[in-house]
Amino acid sequence: MMMKRRLRNKMMNVNYIASVILVVMGLYTIITKKNLIKVVLGMGIVDYGINLFIVSVGFNDKAGATAPIYNMTELLGQAQATGVTQFFVDPVPQALTLTSIVIGACVDAMALSLVIKLYKQYKTVNTDEIRRLRG
Amino acid sequence: MSYIHFPVIAVMTLFMGAFLTVVLGRHSKGVRSFIALAASCVSFALIAMLVKPVMIDGEIISYWMGNWAPMSGYAIGIGYEVDQLGLFFALLVVTTILLSAVYSIRYIEKDSSQDFYYVLFLMLSGSVLGLVMTGDVFNMFIMIEIMTFTAVGLTAFRNTSFGAVEAGFKYLVIGSIGSSFTLFGIAVLYGQCHTLNMAQLSAMLYGNHSPATLMAFALMFTGLAVKSYIVPFHTPAADAYTTAPSSISMVFSGMVNKAGVYGMIRLVYIIFRTVDMPSVQTLIVLFGTVTMFIGVTMALAQHDFKRLLAFHSISQIGYVITAAGLCTSLGLSAGLFHAMNHTLFKGLLFLCAGAVLRSTGTTNLDQLGGLSKRMPKTTLCFLVGAFSISGLPPFNGFASKWLVYQAAYEKAVTTGNIFYAFVTVTAVVVSVMTLASFIKVTQAAFFGQLPARLADVEEAPGLMLLPMYIMSLLCVGTGIFYDKVYQYLLDPAVRAAFTVSNYIDRMMGDGYAEAAGVEDVFASNPHFSYWNPVIWLALFVIVFCAAYICVVTSKGSRGQILSDEGGAEDGKYATFFSGEKALPSHVAGSDLFWGFKTDWKGYFRVMEGLHSGIVNDYALYVVAAAAFVVVFTFAFLR
Repeated sequence: MMMKRRLRNKMMNVNYIASVILVVMGLYTIITKKNLIKVVLGMGIVDYGINLFIVSVGFNDKAGATAPIYNMTELLGQAQATGVTQFFVDPVPQALTLTSIVIGACVDAMALSLVIKLYKQYKTVNTDEIRRLRG
Repeated sequence: MSYIHFPVIAVMTLFMGAFLTVVLGRHSKGVRSFIALAASCVSFALIAMLVKPVMIDGEIISYWMGNWAPMSGYAIGIGYEVDQLGLFFALLVVTTILLSAVYSIRYIEKDSSQDFYYVLFLMLSGSVLGLVMTGDVFNMFIMIEIMTFTAVGLTAFRNTSFGAVEAGFKYLVIGSIGSSFTLFGIAVLYGQCHTLNMAQLSAMLYGNHSPATLMAFALMFTGLAVKSYIVPFHTPAADAYTTAPSSISMVFSGMVNKAGVYGMIRLVYIIFRTVDMPSVQTLIVLFGTVTMFIGVTMALAQHDFKRLLAFHSISQIGYVITAAGLCTSLGLSAGLFHAMNHTLFKGLLFLCAGAVLRSTGTTNLDQLGGLSKRMPKTTLCFLVGAFSISGLPPFNGFASKWLVYQAAYEKAVTTGNIFYAFVTVTAVVVSVMTLASFIKVTQAAFFGQLPARLADVEEAPGLMLLPMYIMSLLCVGTGIFYDKVYQYLLDPAVRAAFTVSNYIDRMMGDGYAEAAGVEDVFASNPHFSYWNPVIWLALFVIVFCAAYICVVTSKGSRGQILSDEGGAEDGKYATFFSGEKALPSHVAGSDLFWGFKTDWKGYFRVMEGLHSGIVNDYALYVVAAAAFVVVFTFAFLR
């Protein structure tokens, strides 16, 4: 059935491995680094890893992927003629990535502004000393 | 048919309200309040008008943005789909928004930069309302992100108060890790299915799981669990509920964590339909039970009014998750009913805490006492809330907790699994501990002696009392007329969660679900074991009136104002004090139940060590739990 097809992966895709490595690196940074700025950077790295993953999902270099400028009849006609349904770069992940990048930028901006506030109040950016709320 | 536009207009009204607050309301307090109130009222009215077609007539509303309807069996545009389950949560959301907006008018009048308060408040409201009605997973992610940002902004709103900015930062870090997991899950899912529409995903994934979709399930499950603040993701919630303004604490516990609960129910019941598997039920019930227990024990150790309520809020969400994870119609009814009741009574309790904070300037239980003399109306509302959350009949907490016990017990009997028997016992024990904890709060804050410092505190203004009265009435009303609630709200919602094919067909066209091989498994109607709430109510009213009259009007030493020199003369006991003055002293929050705390010293020491306040530790819990879910998924899901 057409809708239940799977993404055929004939060779290992290096993009996916790199994106997972980035995500893990980001999480490691958040968990281990005691500097608030580094924690914020870790959040950024997680975002970049995921963005890379989404773009990789949409990209498909089989059958000469081109820019996705088609209308639905052309699309279906060509698909029936050639039997290949994925011959262009999927536009949806690119839209998702743009949204995700904007959100990531907002996260970073907001987190850094909170770090400035925290530094003014606590006179430190060490996470071990910013723990008034506990227990 | 004009009502098909209502869901979108309701969401847009709130976002437009946020925009207009900045443009028009910068300099005028009246205009700001008016815009916030008007937007809340409009969205409430629009959602309330959907009750008739959706809940009673059983219609599911589908709406394609820009009329991008599906072509060739593929959903292209962004769709909104309001089924009974979504509308149930939407009703909770709009009720919370409206009551909180009314309460905010007086509550934040002394704060600076109120225009930003209303902007953030309306955006938070709009995003949660959009989240529960959307039919598109990426749209859901966007709404989650807006929700997280605005919630962080509101947590740190009183940024000069103790720990507010710190709480906001922790919330942001943990929240954005959760959002990242959700987004990663959505990306994996898109790579497999090439669609983002929930209905189409549901049709594709029904009984058709590959390793990649299981990975997506584990990631999205973790991400949404972070948003519902179940243990071990609860740490930022406890801080945020404490430091946010009380009107916002109510919004957090009333709808923001309900959004996470809704997401989890939608995920396991509709999108992946993995809840039929016993292993997934075990996973969810395990999380829920741990949440109940750790939440309530942490609450016993607290000295701050709002932080105590925050841990109770976490604990009650444990009930909801446990009941929903049982995957029986009785269990899901119990879960949804408790979710609704939690919105009502926990919101009420946070509003009472806000009234106390506004009047006395503190929420430290060791510094409060005897407020029933000065704030009798707040005390009355607080007692209604406390009785509801502790599960006393005839209040709503009793009805839903009873259903939870019954559902867990029924599950234990039908599956013969000792684990569910253990869950039932834990649920009962947790309820007892909740009652104990609220005895402590009631004694520490409202009864006992009034410190001299608080001798002239004032009752909260009428505009703040109004939402508290409404919520009190709803707490009693839903407890007494639980059968009506079941008939009009719970039963349709539960049916919607169990009939996946309706959800798919309404969005993708008739016959789509059948072509994809989706079968509905609707369990039989739950049988309640009947109790008669009216008799309980009569008994309760008599006892309560007697106690209330005794407390408020008594002339004895109870409720007396403590002067600095000591208390009143009482000749009766003079013999025992060798002629010295007897000193009536207030039994403060930390003194009650100290024996219990001493017995469990080791446990509390470990728990306080775990809630260390260090953001790295909290992030570690989230990542460790995510790793656990992933390993569990691959080991047991078949």
